[in-house]
Amino acid sequence: MFVRATLVILTLLITLSLSARPFYSQVRGTIEGPGSQRYPIAVSPLRNLGTGDDKRGLSESFADAIGNDLNLSGWFGVLDRSAYIERPQQSGITLESFDLKNWSTIGAESLVKGGFSLQGDDLTVELRLFDVYQAKQLVGKRYTGKVRDFRRIAHKFADEIILQFTGTPGVFNTRIAYVSTGAGGLKEIYISHLDGSERSQLTNNRTINLSPSWSPDGRVVLYTSYKEGHPSLYLYDLAAGRESRVTDRSDSNIGGKWSPDGQFIAVSLERGGNTDIYLLDRSGKVVRRLTEDPGINVSPTWSPDGNRLAFVSDRSGNPQIYIMELATGKARRLTYSGGYNTSPDWSSKGDRIAYTARVAGRFQIFTLSAQGGDPQQLTSGSGDNEDPSWAPDGRFIVFASNRSGRYHLYMMRDTGENQQRLTASGGDDTNPSWSPPLE
Amino acid sequence: MADRLSVLRNLTAFFAFLLLTGCPPPATTQSGSASPASPSGQTGGKEQSTTRESTTGPSSLEQAQQGKVPSTPASSPLKEIYFDFDRYDLRADARASLKANADWLKANPSVRVEIEGHCDERGTNEYNLALGAKRAQAAKAYLVTLGIAAERLSTISYGEELPVCKEHTDECWQKNRRDRFVITTARPAS
Repeated sequence: MFVRATLVILTLLITLSLSARPFYSQVRGTIEGPGSQRYPIAVSPLRNLGTGDDKRGLSESFADAIGNDLNLSGWFGVLDRSAYIERPQQSGITLESFDLKNWSTIGAESLVKGGFSLQGDDLTVELRLFDVYQAKQLVGKRYTGKVRDFRRIAHKFADEIILQFTGTPGVFNTRIAYVSTGAGGLKEIYISHLDGSERSQLTNNRTINLSPSWSPDGRVVLYTSYKEGHPSLYLYDLAAGRESRVTDRSDSNIGGKWSPDGQFIAVSLERGGNTDIYLLDRSGKVVRRLTEDPGINVSPTWSPDGNRLAFVSDRSGNPQIYIMELATGKARRLTYSGGYNTSPDWSSKGDRIAYTARVAGRFQIFTLSAQGGDPQQLTSGSGDNEDPSWAPDGRFIVFASNRSGRYHLYMMRDTGENQQRLTASGGDDTNPSWSPPLE
Repeated sequence: MADRLSVLRNLTAFFAFLLLTGCPPPATTQSGSASPASPSGQTGGKEQSTTRESTTGPSSLEQAQQGKVPSTPASSPLKEIYFDFDRYDLRADARASLKANADWLKANPSVRVEIEGHCDERGTNEYNLALGAKRAQAAKAYLVTLGIAAERLSTISYGEELPVCKEHTDECWQKNRRDRFVITTARPAS
């Protein structure tokens, strides 16, 4: 399967720190904060250090992937390559072996340079981040892997750059699982890199597949599928390339979310028209019924400590978000403004819950305090913005929007700033789920 | 495992159909839900008069898989019913349609029906799946109060996934907020 090819970790990436000097404490704070300027950075095409020609165009592909990640983060403004003075295949990649003036002249305050060599399918990459004005190397890393891993290596170094500048690693070496419509408009589950690249199709049953979500270790994707006629919960083991049904074949399920410790799955089960939330063990056996309510109870999301669940219920007459303490089973209402608040996703930091609210006939992404209160609207405008999913670092949110016609995936900061489109498929991309950090 | 069960169930349904009708079923879907969609092959009783022209059409999923817009033919003996946004209570027009549907089901006592609950595109897919289940159940409950045996009625929700109308207008959304009634013929008890 495609997924096996792209996601199985066949090659351990060996990372060697070439310069382990901690730097972020000096610059932290200058790059964070609302209204901050995009930090001007140049990403040079990599030097081909091998003996063969760069037939795959890796030199520029690396620079494209790293630069795209940095732009998506919103913290950096990557300088246009056409302005670069230096010739990457003729200049060195260590501090003493190139002229920093070539970069300060064009306004670069930081610079990414590197080199690679390819032997057969074996790729060795060396990447360095320089501070142009202080004339020093901030970080240097060497990666080895297969050539098909090149984009992962680029994402890992982008995450490293973000660590240097913000004190917390970036989230670009992750995946997004989502729903996309193919031919005939039927929905299947797909996985891609965060930047929309290397998209692979997880399901291909030509029915309806919905609500993908990741296991905490990133090895398994849960989803709801009609492949046996009615909606049931399935899982796809990415390493084994194998799908299996989680729940009893007669049950109708909606959604499904793994607990942070990986021991339980919270899922909605529909019986006689009533939808309630249940806890399943890893084998899919019901261990506890969590809601006993004549109405709709769907879309559970776990608090990071696993002690609470937020979910949607219409027990008040229309859909609102509630929080339940698992120890007591007691639920309390969290959202009070508006008549339609759905699809909660609890931040990995624990403090905020993102959700979709209906405002003036349109759907918009909000966050609110996990204690209740302090709702903040992150999206606005004429399109619908739905299905928020937090990044594992709690600093970004991915969501689906039809602002440009069809539904595509977008990411933004948790403040709503820097909304950027990620996917460009011909169909509708919806229901994104952001993976945990991957190796 | 799942696939094997699915095959078994399909085979069971297939032979059950052969036993009942003496002829192979019309095209079925690939999945476990596959049950012959047309009652045209039925024998005995008043269903003999139920010709292919007066069927409900196959399930919405089956129609979508064939690249069709999931709709109910105008000649269907079982009429669709419609709902308000984010509601699953039965309007007066829905009750009137359900009474007519109940009369037909009484006159055709061996027909079994799957009630499909649908929603318009607005809102969250998961919530709409639950809302569709409520809509299907509301129709089932009312048909039972009108004297139709519950065993003859199954329900399924397709949420907002299989709209009959694709435009983003009030008129279109109203068409999509519906229950469809799909004749499944004699189905093995599950």
